[in-house]
Amino acid sequence: MAGLELVILGVFTSAVIAFVLGSLHKVLGSAITIVASGFVFVSIAYYGLNGTLDVTSNLVPAFAYAESYASIYFAALVSFVFFMVSFFNPYFVGKMKYPALYSMLYLLSLAGVIGVFFVTNLLGFFFYFELVVWSSMFLIPLGKRIKSTAWYYGFSAFGSFSLLFALFILSGTDSNIYTALGIVSGSEQNLVFVLLIIAGFAKLGAFPLHIWLPKVLGSSPDPVTAVFSGGLEKMGAFVAVLVLLRLSPVGPMIDVLGLTLGQYVVGFLGALTIVFGTLMAIRQDDAKKLLAYSSMSNGGYIILALAVMTDTSVSGALYHVLAHALASTAAFLAIGAVNRQTGTTKMSELGGMIHKMPISYMVYLIAIISMAGIPPMGGFISKWLIFQSMINEGLIILSIATFFGSIGSFLYVFRPLAALFLGQELSEYKTTIKEAPFLMLIPMIILSLLNVVTGVIPNFVLSYINKILSEVGVSPLGLDGNFIIQGNNGNLQPALISGMFAVGVGVAFIIFIVLKKSRKVELTDTYTAGNFVYNEQLLHYTTDFYAPLERLYDQYTTIMKDFYKNLAYKVKEFGQVVRYFFFTYKPEITVFWIILVLLFLLWGDVV
Amino acid sequence: MSIGLSIIAGLGVALFGFVLQTSVAGLNRKVVARLQKRYGPKWYQEFIDIFKLLSKRATSHGWIFDFGVIMALGGIIATAMFMPITNNLLAFEGFDNFFIFVYLIAVGMLGMAMSASGSGNPLASIGVMRALTTMLAYEVPFMVIVLTIINLTGESSVSAIAQAQQLGGDFNWFIIALPIGGVVAVLSLMGMLGKKPFETYIAPAEIASGPMVEYGGKQLGMLFIMHEITVFIEVSLFVHLFLGGAENIIIFLVKYVAVYTFVNLISYVNGRFKIDQVVVFFYKWPLLLAVIQAVMAIYLGLVI
Repeated sequence: MAGLELVILGVFTSAVIAFVLGSLHKVLGSAITIVASGFVFVSIAYYGLNGTLDVTSNLVPAFAYAESYASIYFAALVSFVFFMVSFFNPYFVGKMKYPALYSMLYLLSLAGVIGVFFVTNLLGFFFYFELVVWSSMFLIPLGKRIKSTAWYYGFSAFGSFSLLFALFILSGTDSNIYTALGIVSGSEQNLVFVLLIIAGFAKLGAFPLHIWLPKVLGSSPDPVTAVFSGGLEKMGAFVAVLVLLRLSPVGPMIDVLGLTLGQYVVGFLGALTIVFGTLMAIRQDDAKKLLAYSSMSNGGYIILALAVMTDTSVSGALYHVLAHALASTAAFLAIGAVNRQTGTTKMSELGGMIHKMPISYMVYLIAIISMAGIPPMGGFISKWLIFQSMINEGLIILSIATFFGSIGSFLYVFRPLAALFLGQELSEYKTTIKEAPFLMLIPMIILSLLNVVTGVIPNFVLSYINKILSEVGVSPLGLDGNFIIQGNNGNLQPALISGMFAVGVGVAFIIFIVLKKSRKVELTDTYTAGNFVYNEQLLHYTTDFYAPLERLYDQYTTIMKDFYKNLAYKVKEFGQVVRYFFFTYKPEITVFWIILVLLFLLWGDVV
Repeated sequence: MSIGLSIIAGLGVALFGFVLQTSVAGLNRKVVARLQKRYGPKWYQEFIDIFKLLSKRATSHGWIFDFGVIMALGGIIATAMFMPITNNLLAFEGFDNFFIFVYLIAVGMLGMAMSASGSGNPLASIGVMRALTTMLAYEVPFMVIVLTIINLTGESSVSAIAQAQQLGGDFNWFIIALPIGGVVAVLSLMGMLGKKPFETYIAPAEIASGPMVEYGGKQLGMLFIMHEITVFIEVSLFVHLFLGGAENIIIFLVKYVAVYTFVNLISYVNGRFKIDQVVVFFYKWPLLLAVIQAVMAIYLGLVI
């Protein structure tokens, strides 16, 4: 028996230890993060999946915990992401201003996110939620830019306040959040639904609360970026699972779609998230920002699929949480490795990394194949399940968004592959660059293997997801044996597809190998239509890769940002009005208000 | 069927697709030549070209250049292995899911794009950029129409959809049952095949055949094979989804040749769009028509 409370308290303690040791020596603190997050992952995965996790709370009675299949699924996944990313910490703390603080906050945010998944009392839920917000908020400014923290704080505060109001309303029914979500009804239910959705959207970075996501992911330190995308964002998905599946969806039924209004609005916002994230990702120059927008777009898939609430869609959404966490963490780590070796993530400044960093290249390649939803990787399974539900329910507008996002993902994930890894090796990197150190390669290789495994034999995960489905009252997904998934309108055998892919590649390889051997030439030795090109930069095509496509929507890209800037301006203006009337140095205005207040207080007595 | 036999059958389908499409492409060169008052080459000229290329010694731009070619051809062969030819002639019964063709074909495309970018020629990168952009354009309207078909039949297996049309009673051929969708599908097919006016990503006179610019010898030969099998997959998909599939091989051949020749003939009287025109075109008319067709069929039940 392992106590969940002990695990969480252990993380808190090791956070303090990491701070103390990190103050003595930079790398010691980050070594603690590896050990502690590894400990959390192993204990939650082992005892949680065995069903022997002890959730009673003896030491701190203010918090009550309960385990469910959903919470173990999410906690195991997120702690795994934290564990994998922590291998990067020793290599990145050196450049930071406060390395000890970094190690501590890293562990505190892990403790917070684990707490959110298991805690049941309302106040405890808010405590852990805020712990994540605050600890991750101070992780961001340890990177490139401090300004993005303000955006993060603004949107997080909005989400937190919504959550707090929702919890206030729920506290009228029961102190256990799961019971309360089941009891609440009527107009209170509608209000809780909207408020919790806002909280989830703010954490997941879904449209229209997405502005912070690319800024934060683009400018925070590389391990934090990976953790945000693979781990912390998934907390928003967890809140969305809570609100959409535990609380019955609200609003009148739209008969022709078979969805309630509440479901459709959430789904539609998810669809907008997909389209917006895709369009913005296509036009980024910074590889990290590009992947950040892709995270946003994938978050849209999760929301959209959860909102439809059928067996295929919910299992697709939950599988997508896993597949995207594995793929995006791997992709961010590969980009992080490049960043460590070169000092930049701008695609226009990089090229030909494959020559010196082939393993990072392969990791990135496998990750993007999964992200684009191509077999034989995990992303294909979840996208297939989501498409099944879209088609079966006949949701035309929402499916246009999913199709667009899925094809658009080929466009954006290919860009870093071509610009950053392929092409000519630029002269400034020819001598100095090496492959990432061995310790950094370990998590990258493990994640790549898992990307393949989840794509070839998904049924062992899907059978676990089926337990979550029965827990939340959705009919389980049909699984035939270990290899076949039964969809709404056809079966899928991922292992067969992967096997045939291997056969195809084998045949192609045989054709290739029996033919005459090629003569190797340099990458500068290419057809240039008679022009004499003397340096690598001129041949390497990276800047404005999709210029003709970007031109079509360039003028509309700042709409949301302008909206929030205008909103901020309006709030400021309103504040000035308030200040003009209430907080002024002019005595006549003060006297006027005093008289007015007195009049109001004496209303009915004197007059 | 045991798995070994299935694999051999699948490879047979891929080989059949290659031979068929290469012959049909050769025939079409003659047809187009007559259209332009020329004689045109022999019908087996394409075979001669490919085998000549395979026998020549080529240059290579590094391991990713070669690896991409292998991945491209491998991915396409794997996709073709799942393709049904007639009702009974398919390697993996029950697993010819439509999404396999859409997504497994993408592995091949990705391999080719990777290899082309790995060649380090900017013209190749421009070609890849255009190819991916074109894909973004034609794929969405096509998927909406296929969504309608799968929603109506309740089947996503390509051969099951074909059989649903043959039985009569329930559905006509979908090109008749969903006439607007049929138009969209033909347009999308032209985009898929890279026929004019959507051949922007090859554009020989402009970007020197785009992705193909650096290839020669066996790599080019293998990419030609890959291209022929890709065309086979795309045209066969159209035959199965919209023209009622085929009860026997003769019907399949007739339908196949008719579709390919029809698309090719339209292609040769057209000019070429710019790449942003391709995107605007597909997101204006075909997508609008596709949505209208889907709404009519799914929500209003208007199926002929």
